[in-house]
Amino acid sequence: MKILVGVKRVVDFNVRIQVKADGSGVATEGVKMSMNPFDEIAVEEALRLKEAGKAEEVIAITIGPKASQEQLRTALAMGADRAIHVETDEDVQPLTAARILKAITDKEEPKIVMLGKQAIDDDNNQTAQMLAALANWPQATFASKIDVDGDSANVTREIDAGLETLSIDLPAVISTDLRLNEPRYVKLPDIMKAKRKPIETFTIAELGIEPAAAVKVLKTSAPAARQAGIKVASVDELVAALKEKGLI
Amino acid sequence: MAKVLIIAEHDGKKLNGSTARVMTCAQGLSAESVEIAVFAAEGAAVAEQAAAISGVTKVLLIENPANEHATAAILAPQIEALASEYSHVLAPSTTFGKDLTPRIAAHLAVPQISDIMRVESPRIFDRPIYAGNAVITVEAPEGIVVGTVRTASFSEAEKTGSATIEKREINVELPSHTRFVKLETSGSADRPDLQAAAKVVSGGRGVGSTENFKVIYDLADKLGAAVGASRAAVDAGFIPNDHQVGQTGKIIAPELYMSFGISGAIQHLAGIKDAGTIVAINKDPDAPIFEIADFGLVGDLFEIIPELEKALA
Amino acid sequence: MPEYKAPQRDMMFVLNDVINVSELAELPGFEDATPDIVQGVIDEAAKIIENTIAPLNETGDREGCRFDNGTVTAPAGFKEAYQLYAESGWTGLDKSIDFGGQGLPYTLATAVTDMLSAGNDAFSLYPGLTNGACEALVEHGSQELQDIYLEKLTTGEWTGTMCLTEPQAGSDLSQVRTKAIDQNDGTYLVEGTKVFITGGEHDFVENIIHLVLARLPDAPAGVKGISMFLIPKFMINSDASLGERNPVVCASIEEKMGIHGSSTCVMNFENAVGYMIGNPNEGLRYMFTMMNLARLMVGLQGLGVAERATQGAIEYAKERKQATAINGGATIIHHPDVRRMLMTMKALTEGCRMVAYDTAKQYDISKAHPDASVRKTANDRVELMTPICKAFATDTGCEVASLGVQVLGGAGYIRESGMEQHMRDAKIFCIYEGTNAIQALDLVGRKMKLNLPQNFITEMAAKLEAESSNSELAFILEPMKIALELLDETTQWLIKAAQEDPQNPAAAAVEYLTLYSLLTHGYFWVIAAKAALIKQDDSFCQAKLATAQFFAAKILPRVHSLAPAIMSGAAVVMAAEEDGI
Repeated sequence: MKILVGVKRVVDFNVRIQVKADGSGVATEGVKMSMNPFDEIAVEEALRLKEAGKAEEVIAITIGPKASQEQLRTALAMGADRAIHVETDEDVQPLTAARILKAITDKEEPKIVMLGKQAIDDDNNQTAQMLAALANWPQATFASKIDVDGDSANVTREIDAGLETLSIDLPAVISTDLRLNEPRYVKLPDIMKAKRKPIETFTIAELGIEPAAAVKVLKTSAPAARQAGIKVASVDELVAALKEKGLI
Repeated sequence: MAKVLIIAEHDGKKLNGSTARVMTCAQGLSAESVEIAVFAAEGAAVAEQAAAISGVTKVLLIENPANEHATAAILAPQIEALASEYSHVLAPSTTFGKDLTPRIAAHLAVPQISDIMRVESPRIFDRPIYAGNAVITVEAPEGIVVGTVRTASFSEAEKTGSATIEKREINVELPSHTRFVKLETSGSADRPDLQAAAKVVSGGRGVGSTENFKVIYDLADKLGAAVGASRAAVDAGFIPNDHQVGQTGKIIAPELYMSFGISGAIQHLAGIKDAGTIVAINKDPDAPIFEIADFGLVGDLFEIIPELEKALA
Repeated sequence: MPEYKAPQRDMMFVLNDVINVSELAELPGFEDATPDIVQGVIDEAAKIIENTIAPLNETGDREGCRFDNGTVTAPAGFKEAYQLYAESGWTGLDKSIDFGGQGLPYTLATAVTDMLSAGNDAFSLYPGLTNGACEALVEHGSQELQDIYLEKLTTGEWTGTMCLTEPQAGSDLSQVRTKAIDQNDGTYLVEGTKVFITGGEHDFVENIIHLVLARLPDAPAGVKGISMFLIPKFMINSDASLGERNPVVCASIEEKMGIHGSSTCVMNFENAVGYMIGNPNEGLRYMFTMMNLARLMVGLQGLGVAERATQGAIEYAKERKQATAINGGATIIHHPDVRRMLMTMKALTEGCRMVAYDTAKQYDISKAHPDASVRKTANDRVELMTPICKAFATDTGCEVASLGVQVLGGAGYIRESGMEQHMRDAKIFCIYEGTNAIQALDLVGRKMKLNLPQNFITEMAAKLEAESSNSELAFILEPMKIALELLDETTQWLIKAAQEDPQNPAAAAVEYLTLYSLLTHGYFWVIAAKAALIKQDDSFCQAKLATAQFFAAKILPRVHSLAPAIMSGAAVVMAAEEDGI
């Protein structure tokens, strides 16, 4: 069985982003870029399934500019067998991404497509669900535990009400949440080996994809800041203040 | 004129408070009608609660045994069958809505607007990106607008309405590839829901252990508050994940948020920015949470909580 | 304590825009060192160091190493972190592929050591000393010894030490007394006591390989009678399994001012079985093979501790609110004097990084370039820069760590802030692997005789000349030109004054090394400023340029007090009668 894992190049988790003064977006010049942390978890889970003998091949895929190959190399160094790069300099929104993934899925016929639940740049949380819809496959989003058994899988999902378990038939799309696993550290020799693993490249046109109608971004602004209040010196002072506001 | 369909979130008995918040968002769309769809096995009670939300034109009740534990795979085709009658299909940006609406949008071949936090016009919205560190104003293209509503950005609509309830049958083929197995909940049934609660008492790594979290629960019970936690406390295993507040957990907007032993990582702060009043209790006077707290008190939570309980008694 | 975040933006800036690391990929053997690999190595090393090793810095300091009846236990977590680090292949980064290494340039190892030292300087010593042992084995060990020991040292499965110092033989190794008796079976029995042995005993690995300086019975006196021996903690059987315990015993560990996580051992060799490295009586020369790399490593420790102190101070200054500043700012980073301290820290730290990385690149060229004359030129640069990298970067470590405490004020003096640990850790870097005075004597002595300082003065002058038409760089070119003339004058004075009284260069050596280092930093700040000018809309480059301006205006002028001090001669230093001091 094959697992296809999506990998997105995003501004590193630790970077405090700055909104450009002219409202045209977020400053990304020279900013450290990394693999979306949720995708790292997806890669790790796919590799664990392979190491447990549940899958034969792990294929990493990214959609993005040339530099996104850095993130594919990271996935390959973690242990993915090969990679696919759908190269584009355009802003690819979730529905278009899902269509691209659908086209690759038709070609590669994986049993599981594993995606991070959301990218930490646009925070959309849509692509996995959209791909499942387009493929008419089951979806198990926000996974915190995955048990694959033959042609089906039990997936535990982190939902607002607690932990929900679904049984889904394969092929399926699974989106990964934070507590699914802790991604491994890449070994130096594997960074070197990754250099020799194949990356297949396509353009969106080559895949015959029609980009979906896009949401237009009119402007980007900084969020309204919350002002710091006051420090109180004692519990009595605190209780008095809360009583005055009618909160207790 | 906009015709809005809101997908109700509920647990079979009770309507989730998020639905009334979506209603408030919908009121900004200058809609000619706002309808709420209740998908359930037996949903009369939930439909009644939905009908009471002010501003609702009509409640659609779609009863089907398959809707017992509604998964996205089961709900999406039914909603798609309804969607052509509407200009907007909205759901709360809870795990329920987030799971569901992209599946609808993809089939309708329209993009989705996630986490709507402000309505500028029926097609123009604000939504947060980069964990709320930036806000983009976006315009949806032509076609049905499918979106999730950031519940923390809207208050619950009043409950003085009495809309009609209309039963509908939707005959579409439903897939069998997705089966509900179980739901493990951690919260006690009589504690308020974290996302709907007016008051939330929250603990962080500073609480120290699962046993120590009892003081947080006890205080919450005295205040009639829900219990929240930071990611650090959840990761340390002090408390189950469904209590996590923050960018990767729940984004909440209670009237009163009291944090104990939470330093205030930026991801946590992103989850409470819309709270009415934030109270922070922490040993470290430089903890970032004090930067956004309305009332800060430096000290040991294990000394302060008993004092608080005494003052409240 | 603030978390350590690898300064990846600055590291990549130095690698790409200052030293042009991509040139290394053109050298035979370094074909793999392409930009994607460089980026991947830095990214992944940063991850493992930030997340697993750096968090042990503070706990390692508090807990320290424990000694119990010959065994040493490192602080909690060190063993596991070391094993993960070694298993992930990082110890073999620049070592030969033939022995399980990755064969990447030393320049990349330097960048990783920069992070490792900053993350946890005590921890960094364990793999650091192993590097020295490997290098000596590669250069001087027999094929047989290499086959048995090199692979496991490369992969970090075993660690290595350098056993030089004895109670009576510190900076003066001619006093070494440890004896080695030839057993005429290819082995020697070694007896003696070595002190200050870093990593002499610990619990990370199953075997520790000591490289030991000792004397044969018939050896000439002084440094010409020292040989080098390899002495394993456990003997190796013919089937490569571990054999008998060799009688090399840790007698105690030192209680130190800092680097508590590093075990500093008294090692007793009680007729331990050893194997000679290379030829008899050439041990000192072999020792310098280890020593030169070790000195560069210690320089990186100075850089590392400076980086960590700088990060801690900047983070604090951005958050701490105390008295509204003159410009209206609420946090202390707006106060001009706090800013002066932070910029001093930043300028010195980033300068040390540029010098260290460039020296590493020259080292790679000196090993790998096909043209012998290019190799020679590069090697000369490494020879010149080794005392500068070691001494100036470690002096910087102390200066910056001290400023770091100062920025935090009272909070900095308290253990919890983590800043005082840097101050305690930093001091040893000025002392071990040849005190900074020894480095300075090397510069004004041996290196001066080889004309190395003079040659680089010429090269710096040519660089200033080549850039002279760039008016945007005038802010640094003009003061550099004046400073360089002063350095040249001082150098000529030293050469002349040495003939009048050998005490003249000795008394001024440390000041001269500082003077020379400031010019070297200035040289690299010209290159950095030029690169930063291209992308001024980027806040990193804007700050880089501002830091270059700060260096030129506030740090470079130190040369004007150093030069006259140097040229005042030794007499004034030695004038007071010993009894009166």
